[in-house]
Amino acid sequence: MSGAHIASRDWNDVAEGKPVAHTAMGTSPQGQTLHEPLRGWASFSATFLVMFKEEGRKSMEFAKKRQIVLFPLLLTLITALTTVGLQFLVGGSTAQVSDIEQKTFSWGELRFALHLPLLMFSLGMGTFAFMGHDAIVHRAGTKNYLLAAPALQPLPNSVAHFAYFIKDLCFYVLLILSPVIAGMALGITLESVNGLSTPLEWSSLPWTWLAMIITLGQGLALAFLGSALWMRGRPYTIVGPAVIVIFGVALGLGQINLDGVLWGLYVQSNQSVLVTAAALGGCVSIGLIASALIVDDFDVSVVQREEMFMPIYNKLGFLGDGEIRLIVAKEFVDLIRSGSIKKMTVSYAVPLVVLLGMAWLVDFAEAPIPINLLSYAPFLGFFGFNFYSWLTILDSPEFMNGLPLRVPQLIRAKVIVYFLATSWISLIFIVLMAWQLDEWPSLPTSIVVMFANSIYIVALTAFLMGLRPNKAIFDASIMIWFWIGTVLPLLGLFLLSFTQGDVSLYGNWWERASQDGLAATATMYDQSMVERGYKGMLMISVGLLFASALLWKLMDRRWGKSEFSN
Amino acid sequence: MVESDGPLVMAKDMAKKYGDFIALHPLDVEVHAGEFFGVFGPNGAGKSTFIKLLTGQLRPSKGQIEVLGVDAVADPQKVKANIGIVPESESPPSFLTPTEFLEFVARLRRVEDIENKVEHWLDWFGLNEKRDTMCKDLSKGQRQKVMLAAAFIHKPKLLFLDEPFANLDPIYQRKCRQWLLDHVKEGGTIFLCSHVLEMAERMCNRMAIINDGKVLAAGTVKGLKINQEETLEDVFIRLVGRSIEDVEGHDDTASTDGESEEE
Repeated sequence: MSGAHIASRDWNDVAEGKPVAHTAMGTSPQGQTLHEPLRGWASFSATFLVMFKEEGRKSMEFAKKRQIVLFPLLLTLITALTTVGLQFLVGGSTAQVSDIEQKTFSWGELRFALHLPLLMFSLGMGTFAFMGHDAIVHRAGTKNYLLAAPALQPLPNSVAHFAYFIKDLCFYVLLILSPVIAGMALGITLESVNGLSTPLEWSSLPWTWLAMIITLGQGLALAFLGSALWMRGRPYTIVGPAVIVIFGVALGLGQINLDGVLWGLYVQSNQSVLVTAAALGGCVSIGLIASALIVDDFDVSVVQREEMFMPIYNKLGFLGDGEIRLIVAKEFVDLIRSGSIKKMTVSYAVPLVVLLGMAWLVDFAEAPIPINLLSYAPFLGFFGFNFYSWLTILDSPEFMNGLPLRVPQLIRAKVIVYFLATSWISLIFIVLMAWQLDEWPSLPTSIVVMFANSIYIVALTAFLMGLRPNKAIFDASIMIWFWIGTVLPLLGLFLLSFTQGDVSLYGNWWERASQDGLAATATMYDQSMVERGYKGMLMISVGLLFASALLWKLMDRRWGKSEFSN
Repeated sequence: MVESDGPLVMAKDMAKKYGDFIALHPLDVEVHAGEFFGVFGPNGAGKSTFIKLLTGQLRPSKGQIEVLGVDAVADPQKVKANIGIVPESESPPSFLTPTEFLEFVARLRRVEDIENKVEHWLDWFGLNEKRDTMCKDLSKGQRQKVMLAAAFIHKPKLLFLDEPFANLDPIYQRKCRQWLLDHVKEGGTIFLCSHVLEMAERMCNRMAIINDGKVLAAGTVKGLKINQEETLEDVFIRLVGRSIEDVEGHDDTASTDGESEEE
């Protein structure tokens, strides 16, 4: 037997050139029967169920089993109550009728209100290519996931990602969509029990369920595709956001039919088996295309970098000399070195640009509510939730368990990083919006409302969910508090904003609505309502800032004894 | 079936660069059936990059790689399907139990009689009591045992091991070492990366020492020593360009420099 041989040369002694497939070099399996690796459906089926189990355990790790069970029950209950309340929104007409005479809201508007948030939610949750990359990068840490399995196992990376996409879709269908449908069914059942009337019919439930699955699948698939393209680098990192903005503006201008964009909405309106099958097939196909774009690349770059920590630390003198300043500097280094700052900034800015484009080009004169500069300001807080969630998964914080630091300090540092990294974008957005709407007098108030909201939502998220916001979404108790904490003040701000701006266009909407509810009619424009609305908004904003400060203080009580883990 | 006497592993001009940083200079390597071949070097020498390139976990910046007659650049899945890999620091999936992870791996690797094989390796590694515990709740050593079991479960003839015993207790280090030696006796082949030189003396037929991404020396363990008195540690220190005095902290110049920097 000849022995092993090994020899190396200097890098420059070997000509440059990409590695290419070649003819046999002369190795042999020495009698070992070689197996073909599982590919396609076989590898998908070997992975899917195990991933599903993994997802269940992941969710249960943060929220206790009881909370996971409570979450769908809570959804069922809320949907049941909403179903009973539908009669007050749409009158007595049934969901089956497509041309319902509008009494208050039309069925079309309600359907839109059902599908649009679902699409937004799924777009936010479907960036699987980013998740896969993070899993690969962090696989040497204490936590590892099946999504990183292709690095070692004979499993194509594309199949692992596709299985992850389908797994997430099924998981959300089971935990969110099905309880919602169960709630609708319960609402209809209540009709026969105590005489409460609901316009929903049994036969509409399967279609609503299918339509919601399609919207969810579409959002997940599109976000998956976007993230897969982004991971391929230029030109997609430039073309991608540009396409989204153009698309948003075209949609706002009415150049693109909403039914054609929201497939689920179209399915629900038309109730055609063929269209349903085509839409489902479309979602799966987009998912497949996105998967095919995922390459078997397990490189974890070890490029040497220039010192970054101390220069950043030195710029943060306004944070004092305590631990927070150190952690914020470290978080910024993570943000920049991981390459996440680009995608996070883009994902924060793109929805704002779309909103701006719509304000620029859309004539809101036909809208049922008087949207103005102050109506846009509260929106920003919701984008803050996503940004904060990403900040918590940049790096595993477990190494901090051995350092003289506490979890509340890290949480506070992340909130500060969020504010420092995004406030300039928000500020540019609101100034541009004021310029476009020509509502300069409202700008100072809008800035206060915007920052108060933005800080409050992130402070509330950080307080309730700590370092694991992504895992908290199925925790019923946390979500109840989150809903109470966000919906009430934001709804208040949003409604009060209708008293501001060019209300003469719409008549005194707020006064009409507050007096006569949904049967309101136009009355005279009232300056005192504008003033009261203005004061109300400022009071809520000051209240939110006060609440943020309180949550900041209470962070120690809630997370002081926790260990560093995400 | 006529067996070829070609090597099991072969690479030509295989190299890896990250940006401007050369992790591994171009090298040629051949490993034959029945060998226990070890690559040793200090931390950051390029050992893990070496093993990841051969096993299809990384794409080379230059060169060609073939393992068991399969092009590792063109079809890394097929290479992975027919070898066993024990990574240096990777843990099993945190939210699966050892049983579930081994079942998953066995299925991907088309192992027959999965249930019995999983039972066998859980028992062999003393993981029976932890079989239903999620991997995130296992100790580092137990997680390493799960990774070893996942590499052994399909009994591949060719195994790539990167610091395989780093977290194992002495009993399981010995048990695994004996299993690997028996495996080689039965015709298996092992490619090992480590900085623990004791492993070279106890296990390897041949070895190479690398530093800064370059092979400094290669041959049998005995062949690398200048004389019988020289230990493998001395060989290693000499080859990586350090002096014993420097390593043991007796180098006055180095020490003084260090102190002045501290001040």
